[in-house]
Amino acid sequence: MTDAGFVIAAYAVIIGGLGLYTVTLWRRLNSARRELDRDDEAR
Amino acid sequence: MSALRAEARTALAIARKDAVAELRGRHATVSTLFFSAVVLLLFGFALGPDSARLAAAAPGLLWLAVVFAGLLAVTRLHLLETDDGALEQLALYPVSRRAIYAGKALGGMAVMLVLGLVVLGAVGVLFAVDVASAWLPLLTTIVLGAVGIAAVGTFYAGVTVRLRAREVMLPLLMLPVLAPLLLAAVKATAAALAGDPFGELGAWLQLLVAFDVIMVVAGAATYGYLLED
Amino acid sequence: MKTRILGFAALAAVAAMTAIALFVVPADLNQGDAQRIMYPHVASAWLGYLSFGVTAISGILWLWKRDLRFDAIAVSGAEIGVMFTAFAIWGGMMWGRPIWGVFWQWEDPRLTTTALLLALYVGYLLFRRLTDDPQRRATRAAIVGIVAAVDIPIVHFSVEWWRGLHQTATIASPDRVLNPAAPMIFVGTLLGMLGAFTLAWGYLMIRRYQLARAELAREEAVRIGRLEDARRGVARSEAAR
Repeated sequence: MTDAGFVIAAYAVIIGGLGLYTVTLWRRLNSARRELDRDDEAR
Repeated sequence: MSALRAEARTALAIARKDAVAELRGRHATVSTLFFSAVVLLLFGFALGPDSARLAAAAPGLLWLAVVFAGLLAVTRLHLLETDDGALEQLALYPVSRRAIYAGKALGGMAVMLVLGLVVLGAVGVLFAVDVASAWLPLLTTIVLGAVGIAAVGTFYAGVTVRLRAREVMLPLLMLPVLAPLLLAAVKATAAALAGDPFGELGAWLQLLVAFDVIMVVAGAATYGYLLED
Repeated sequence: MKTRILGFAALAAVAAMTAIALFVVPADLNQGDAQRIMYPHVASAWLGYLSFGVTAISGILWLWKRDLRFDAIAVSGAEIGVMFTAFAIWGGMMWGRPIWGVFWQWEDPRLTTTALLLALYVGYLLFRRLTDDPQRRATRAAIVGIVAAVDIPIVHFSVEWWRGLHQTATIASPDRVLNPAAPMIFVGTLLGMLGAFTLAWGYLMIRRYQLARAELAREEAVRIGRLEDARRGVARSEAAR
């Protein structure tokens, strides 16, 4: 792998990882909030 | 001043209680020692048969064996409490938390000391290393290492003793924290065995002392929070 | 609403700095293009350490104030810290292969310290999952987090010594970019990347904190629900009598 390959691998994982974590965080947050709303309605 | 002496007396009482229980049972001590011997044997198989390589690796192998056996030993000391709810009773006594921690750590230290000395002898024999000539710095290193492992081990054994998956959790939490102790102890041992050619022995021993002090303080300070829950 | 603005700002900043680091800033004379990896690598490492500092301090604040919001901050710091630390190690490896010729080596004290940091906080996160009661979990996590935090400077110090006493040829240093003599454009890009990542960090911390609060509320609701079920069950059996 040329140097460029390593640079791309580094950035892809780091920036991509940031994005992935952000998206999963959104989904976890929405899911948790939905469950809370459901609890409130059930009561 | 007498409050401190009362604490010390408590700590010694707890340590004595553990020692008596341990001596009566005796299985744990013997199996732990045997385990360390088996570990050393396996190291021999893994890294041998070149005796020069084994002799060079001896300091590292010594401390790895001590640390791994130490995992078993500290778990053992805390199991003594949970088996009949003694930990809860201990928490009810109007005793300083620090004293309880000190007592358990003292017991741990005694076990680790015995372990260290036995492993030192075994390493000398198995890997053809002359441990007798440098016995004083080696003994010092073993004592300092024993204190550190006991301090950290007592703390984490207390933390994990009532958890599920504790067999994995204890090593997983404890081993990274022990990394600097391992490093310093191995370097000190290697320096001592070589006759301290670069004069670095003192520096590594100082690091061990610093580690021990910091960990004992941290463990004693936080142990109380463990017992309250 | 303000959080969303922060999020957009972070996104823009990270995108801009990535473009600058990859295409605008010149390659290093000695290290070539591989040096570009240093920008996100160093930024990730700093944020990893920052996150764990937040976790340790929040743990202390929990023990002192007994407010579960501090524990929510602590778990957020740990999770995000693990992420950034993993990024830092990955970046270090991707940099190491072209520069050192190996993905890993033991001479660099920061690499080994960072690896240990990762181990300590992964352990912290796994440890948290074993306790269901929020207060007990917070207390146990706090003390484990404090001891972990106390260990870090010791680790760093000891590894520095370890490296110092080992007589080898000089190894290329990853932080030439931190060298005071480095050209401004390198330093500027690094600071810019750090700033962009910090914005992202702030946004993620807020969102993760909100998630932690929501999960705490859920746990509380489940517990109350069980209590009501139990109460209803008791009432029913009383009525049947």
